[in-house]
Amino acid sequence: MSTLGKVMFWLVTAFVLFVIVAPLAWIYLTAFKSPNDIFTTEARKLIFFKPTMENFNRLFREFPFWDNFLNTVIISVSSTVVVMVISSLAAYSFARWNTGKGHLLFTTISTRMFPGVVAAIPFFVMYRNLGLLDTRFGLALLHIYFNTSFATFLLYGFFKEIPEELEQAAMVDGYSRVDIFRKIVLPLVRPGLAVTAVFCLVWSWNEFLFSFLFTRVAARPVTVLISSFWGSIEVQYGPMAAGAAIVILPTLVAAWFMQRYIIRGLTFGAVKG
Amino acid sequence: MRTETFSEAQAGYAVARKPTIWEVLTSEKYFKWTLLIPLLVVLAIFMLYPLLYCAYYSFHQWGMRGEAIYVGAQNYRQLLNDKAFLEALYRTLKVLVICVSCELLIGLGLALLWSREFPGENIVRGLALLPLLVAPLILSLLWNFMFEYDFGAVNLILQALGLSKVYWWSPQRALYTICFITIWQWFPFSTFVLVAGLRSLPKDVFEAAKVDGASPWYTFRRLTLPMLSPLIMIIVVLRTMWLIRLFDPLYGTTRGGVQTELLDWIVYRTAFVYFDIGYGSTMAIFSLVLTIAVCAIMFKMLMKALGGTR
Repeated sequence: MSTLGKVMFWLVTAFVLFVIVAPLAWIYLTAFKSPNDIFTTEARKLIFFKPTMENFNRLFREFPFWDNFLNTVIISVSSTVVVMVISSLAAYSFARWNTGKGHLLFTTISTRMFPGVVAAIPFFVMYRNLGLLDTRFGLALLHIYFNTSFATFLLYGFFKEIPEELEQAAMVDGYSRVDIFRKIVLPLVRPGLAVTAVFCLVWSWNEFLFSFLFTRVAARPVTVLISSFWGSIEVQYGPMAAGAAIVILPTLVAAWFMQRYIIRGLTFGAVKG
Repeated sequence: MRTETFSEAQAGYAVARKPTIWEVLTSEKYFKWTLLIPLLVVLAIFMLYPLLYCAYYSFHQWGMRGEAIYVGAQNYRQLLNDKAFLEALYRTLKVLVICVSCELLIGLGLALLWSREFPGENIVRGLALLPLLVAPLILSLLWNFMFEYDFGAVNLILQALGLSKVYWWSPQRALYTICFITIWQWFPFSTFVLVAGLRSLPKDVFEAAKVDGASPWYTFRRLTLPMLSPLIMIIVVLRTMWLIRLFDPLYGTTRGGVQTELLDWIVYRTAFVYFDIGYGSTMAIFSLVLTIAVCAIMFKMLMKALGGTR
């Protein structure tokens, strides 16, 4: 590349990165601003201001932030554990025997295209009758539903990569099917399991539609709390930014450390980034 | 002698004994189905049941209290004449076309820029992929604030540059502002799918084209683009699936106001704000059929495209 070409390359790259990172950095800047600096009309104060912990203090004192945060953790971890068990079994079956000849796999994946509201209507009525509204258990069930199809499809790709010869050799050695799955296949797909689990955690962590419809107080996840700062009588930008800064941190860390797998995950395993 | 007879008897017993359930489930013939049982249970509960439920209530009038009244196809007739619903449908398609085409164009441009390996690549990729895993709801709240008329960062910067402030949430602009938020979050996705595609292209073909004196534009149009088409297909399919479901960015910004109501939002409003379960079910079924039709076509193309890359 010529020098001019190199300069252009880095100029464009820097500009694109600025467009991507600046709004995210903006959350962290706003989180440390006093109300006066948030509601300012001076452009200078966008960056130059006196940092304060006021927003965090208000968030922890006046709102049940940590309770809601705990709800999010419990719901996403428990639903991910169940999803991983269901999906790894099913994905192995699809990958090794092509069970259902593709139709069943399509049905599975189409649940991901299923409009969330279609499931929401009957389950809302059912949950109301069963007393499952506003419980962590009820919401975790719904998260299991929408993550299972994704996880199955992603894992399907990872299981496909294991050579069948390995399993045949193990069968010759007298291993049963269950032993092969437990002692040979699962250890081999461990990276795939880890990647899938992180994705499920993130989707469940970020989920909003079901969380918003099916919880009120006791089981409310933290995303719903943050959304409630906007639209009430006054807009609470300070606590909103402080809460958002904490809540998005794990997902930013996950994105950074999984950068090799993000494209693969988001394309359901179709593209190996 | 004695021991031999004993073991024979034992063997005979083992053959006659009925196999345990566990043995049947893990036998060569049934094991693949056993593995699927949990998944099938989940699908039956969470897919079949809502589907049948909505289909049933779409022929009824019911507001969550009292008895449901059978009304035949009246809900469906009402739906086809419902101006608000048809507008929401039109808007959803509009958002779909705008977002997918913008993401593809930006993605293709940047993918060409970043297709060759360069120093600091991991840092650039790491930073560029950051927004993808952040909750769309939180990002929409963030952008809602940044596009605020009086204190929003965007208008303050415009002002500092000597330009006039803009009403980003006016009825004429709000839908495009929401498109912008979505495109901003998702263009890194198409970019890096296409980067992966460009890097896996065979190099010799391009060298041959260069030797033959093909212009860069000709090479791009006749070689690069056709070879990338499976990946472009994947991007279109997956983004369509996600965009039809757009809900979170609406909640974080306009809440369906200022002419931004989309498909999922109007279903939500009918069923959960007005508690009109019957009519809401009708909308849900309609939107489901639409999605399945679109996705069935796209899934075929996707599978074809996957066959090309796997």
